Amino acid sequence: MKLAKYLKPYWLFTLLTPLSMVGEVLVDLSQPRLMAKIVDEGVVGGNMELIIRTGIMMLLLICFGGMCGVGSAAFSGMASQGFARDLRNDTFKRVMGLSFEQTDKFTTGSLVTRLTNDITQVQQFVDFALRMLVRDSILFIGGIIMMLSLDINFGLVLVCALPVEMVLIMILIKKANPIYSIVQKKLDKVNSVVQENVSGARVVKAFVREEHESERFDRANVDLMQTNLKVQKIMSVLNPLLMIVMNLSVIAIILIGGFQVEAGEMKVGQIMAALTYITQILMGIMMISMMFQSISRAHASEKRICEVLYTEPVIKSGSYVSDNNQLGTVSFRNVSFKYPGTNGEPVIKNLSVDIKSGENFAILGATGSGKSSLINLISRFYDADEGEVLVDGVNVKDYDIDCLRKKIGMVLQKSELFSGTVYENIAWGDKDASKADIEKAAKIAQADEFVSLMPAGYDGYIAEKGASLSGGQKQRLSIARSILKKPEILIFDDSTSALDLGTESRLQRALEENLKDITVIKIAQRIASVMNCDRIAVLEHGSLCAIGTHEELLRTSEVYRDIYNSQMKSSGEGDN
Amino acid sequence: MAQQQKRPAAVNNPPRPLGKGPRGPVLVHEKPKDVLGTLKRILSYMGRSKYIFFILLAVMLAITVLNLAAPSLQQKAIDTISGVDYKNLVKYLIILGLVYVLTSVITYFQGWFSAKLSQTTVKIMRTDLFRKIVTLPIRYIDTHNHGDLMSRMTNDVENISNCISQSIGSLFSGVLTIIGSLVIMLYYSPVLTLISVSTIILTVLFTSVMTKFMRKYFTRQQILLGKLDGHIEEMVVGYKTVVSYSKEKDAIDKFNKMSDSLRKTGVKAQICGGSMGPLMNIVSNVGFVLIAGFGGYFALKKIISIGTIQAFILYSKQFSRPINEIANQYAQIQTAVAGGERIFAVMDEESEKDDNSNDREFILDNVSGNISFKNINFSYVQDKPVLKGFNLEIKSGQKIAIVGATGSGKTTVVNLLTRFYDIDSGEIEIDGVNIKDISKNKLRETIGIVLQDTVLFSDTIRSNIAYAKPQAELSEIESAAKTANADRFIKRLPDGYETVLSESGSNLSQGQRQLLAIARAVLADPKILILDEATSSVDTRTEMNIQSAMVALMKNRTSLIIAHRLSTIIDADKIIVIDDGRVVEQGNHEELLEQKGCYYNLYQNQFAGIAT
Repeated sequence: MKLAKYLKPYWLFTLLTPLSMVGEVLVDLSQPRLMAKIVDEGVVGGNMELIIRTGIMMLLLICFGGMCGVGSAAFSGMASQGFARDLRNDTFKRVMGLSFEQTDKFTTGSLVTRLTNDITQVQQFVDFALRMLVRDSILFIGGIIMMLSLDINFGLVLVCALPVEMVLIMILIKKANPIYSIVQKKLDKVNSVVQENVSGARVVKAFVREEHESERFDRANVDLMQTNLKVQKIMSVLNPLLMIVMNLSVIAIILIGGFQVEAGEMKVGQIMAALTYITQILMGIMMISMMFQSISRAHASEKRICEVLYTEPVIKSGSYVSDNNQLGTVSFRNVSFKYPGTNGEPVIKNLSVDIKSGENFAILGATGSGKSSLINLISRFYDADEGEVLVDGVNVKDYDIDCLRKKIGMVLQKSELFSGTVYENIAWGDKDASKADIEKAAKIAQADEFVSLMPAGYDGYIAEKGASLSGGQKQRLSIARSILKKPEILIFDDSTSALDLGTESRLQRALEENLKDITVIKIAQRIASVMNCDRIAVLEHGSLCAIGTHEELLRTSEVYRDIYNSQMKSSGEGDN
Repeated sequence: MAQQQKRPAAVNNPPRPLGKGPRGPVLVHEKPKDVLGTLKRILSYMGRSKYIFFILLAVMLAITVLNLAAPSLQQKAIDTISGVDYKNLVKYLIILGLVYVLTSVITYFQGWFSAKLSQTTVKIMRTDLFRKIVTLPIRYIDTHNHGDLMSRMTNDVENISNCISQSIGSLFSGVLTIIGSLVIMLYYSPVLTLISVSTIILTVLFTSVMTKFMRKYFTRQQILLGKLDGHIEEMVVGYKTVVSYSKEKDAIDKFNKMSDSLRKTGVKAQICGGSMGPLMNIVSNVGFVLIAGFGGYFALKKIISIGTIQAFILYSKQFSRPINEIANQYAQIQTAVAGGERIFAVMDEESEKDDNSNDREFILDNVSGNISFKNINFSYVQDKPVLKGFNLEIKSGQKIAIVGATGSGKTTVVNLLTRFYDIDSGEIEIDGVNIKDISKNKLRETIGIVLQDTVLFSDTIRSNIAYAKPQAELSEIESAAKTANADRFIKRLPDGYETVLSESGSNLSQGQRQLLAIARAVLADPKILILDEATSSVDTRTEMNIQSAMVALMKNRTSLIIAHRLSTIIDADKIIVIDDGRVVEQGNHEELLEQKGCYYNLYQNQFAGIAT
């Protein structure tokens, strides 16, 4: 249990929980004995005073036991919830420090489950272990001791019943577990049919295939039902079998007890006590066997949490803090790059280019040519394998990472908005910005026109990552956000793709008017979006294949001409 | 569903017709509104497996009786010991053994039958729900959260299944047990019964108070967890943005704050939950002492036997156990009913229907493909018209490109022609027949459609292409694939046409998926073809490939193209420019350029480079 150290700050609660649990359990265990005393000495012996005295003692004990129980619940809550919070915070902090190759590797969904489900799982296990494990073990062992102290012959029953019970549980669990995972798969299949039909409703309807889809669903559905029944069939054997073992033990105890009473070595009340104990012991073993399942589940969760928690970020911050030399130059010197963990060809091969201060620079290329990868190196989302990337003449690896990223405004291909108002979303770029600044940024980004049409305007709430906005609207908001940041270098990573061309050209003009001095790097697939840039770099297969103005490239670069023709001219004959 | 419409910031947001529906926040914890009605409906689903249902009831009755008989036999056996009547002891023990064995056997059947009942019931529900989902109108699909719809199919159905297999059984046998034990206890000793019943009533009261507290904190905990979940997802999905704005610290601070309030609520919930057991224990043990005390007293007075005390303690446990169980099941039944309500809400939605009251004959095989839109008005949301007096004539075999700014109503035209949505006023005619008079299935069989978001199914490539024509020969499928430029890449796949696509075809590239969709349309061989050009996520080389496949597809058909790129526009027989819900210009490329109107501006914007 690597995570046990997170319990340290709560050591007192951690210690108090099992202690008070012991109190509760001892009281539980003493009851059948006291009961036996009442019956045997009080009732049979005709001693009313003893009945009352023992009864009161029992009540007092019970109250004490109850208090211990409540106490252990409270202590355990404080320990396990505190544990979970600290663990959660540390894990999230670690996630926020990870490099992209690492978050890519984990995937979003899995990070969310690790931080919520897995931590809850481990927290519940801590709670469970501190209380139930202690409780059931004491009940189990205590029950055995108490029962044997009543009469050693009862041990015979235990010797027979316990192993049988354990073996039964183990066999059935072993049989059922693999089927459970098959059930999960069948369930996934059902889900995926539904998913496809919901998101593909138009196609299903357009091809009039409702009947076919229903049949497909039926197959998956019946399959799921049958697998479910298979596992249920196994599990419905478990309970009756356990019951039989328990009940036969009861009979055996009455029988043995009967002989002992006949021989004068035991009293009737003791048989009753023994019956209670045997039930307790056998229930205990059931609980403990279930605990093994939850241990293995918690262990799996722990492993998944630790994977995140003990991942070292690959990209480490440097120490260089630049003064206010607002240059905005970017240079790539013999840069090669390959996505970590991938084999084969590097995405960028020995590429060199200098982007000048204040330049309007475009990068054009097909998907997979390395455009986005290239600019990812500027902000150090990834690090180059070979060569150097320089910003304002300093290697990006030497920069204090916050200082570096402050210089760069990046509008991503997929615009990410966050839940909050329009104001808050734009103000991400600069928390201290005034409303006027924000509105101005929105105007430049051509976002003002639709924001002001929203009923709440800039105070309108953006829910669910902007699901209520169109792709173009989201892009314009994230452009506004980057503009507000006043970066030296503004990068558009194919982030105007959802804008219609009219809006895009207005944006272009507004940027030129308002942000004259900053360096703009623009990645695009639409040739119309980049034609007016100062220089266009054409990437192919990770290498720079041509660079120059639109006119130069039309003359000199065949690749550029190809792209140009494919977009601007009729393509019927361009078949290849 | 009311919540769906009340989402904030929803102006400028007509449901995007060809995209995914907007996602509203998923609501945690609902309380059922019409408990009885919903229960009745769930029961009627169970009633479909009548035999199992009644067998199960019989089995549960038997178990209850046996469970009630056992303590009494046990008591008799113990009485024989104190009465030194050892011969009878063995006799009673044998009977007791038989009863136990029988109980176990029947318990097995109970488990098996309730599993069977719940699985069958749930299977029928899923089937019904799915058939409803496939027949729901597109408007419903567009305006409802898909995740929410999915969760009805999975979580809600699951809840009902759990409820049937666990709760209903224990509810039924619980009630029987309570009644049975009460009768037997009364038979043994009315006074002791009174004592034990009063402690049990105390227990019930106690439980209900505690669960109320508990549920409050657990609900709150669930909500907090959901929020935390949302925050993590937002930050991780948007990680690139978070990092480029150096907002990691803010994210962590916010997380820590949420995390701590989750801890606080968690502690409270846990204290409530954890105290329940010990406190109940106190109450039930007080009952135990009282019974022992009074029982001892009565035994002294020779009113009852010692065995009776033992039996009584067992019965009072038998009596209180189902009460606790029912209290525990209460929450589960409630979630199941809430789930049922959500499922039935979908089932009660109106399906797509044909309203061809005057049922005009429409001959499918002989469609020539003349389409006319006459004075169409349409809006997705009331008072926000998308099409206003829209008129358009398309002649058989024409290739029509529809252009216009985002939100101008291009895709709406498609939605109306296929009757995914119904027009508010006006008429659409195909070959002079109002499409309202054609059955939707016939209408749609006449129209082929290739969407921007390619839809593929997790099935073989072969059956994906043969989607519209399942009985197609492999040779037909291959030739369709060839026309669509898809044959080459399919043959290169390890299993060729039999390659099974993973969910939504994610093991293919965007371009390849689009080619498959085109092949599908080729094989369907429709008279009228609608192309929502898929280009924005495909690179230019691939696009050329797709483009030429589309050209092949459009041959000899009336085609409507929602155009994004110039190449297709120039080739079109007629270009329709839509602005603000109306056709503002139409003609071919050269004509429209000469008009120097809307189209000219659009063109200039896009291709300013050539113009200068």
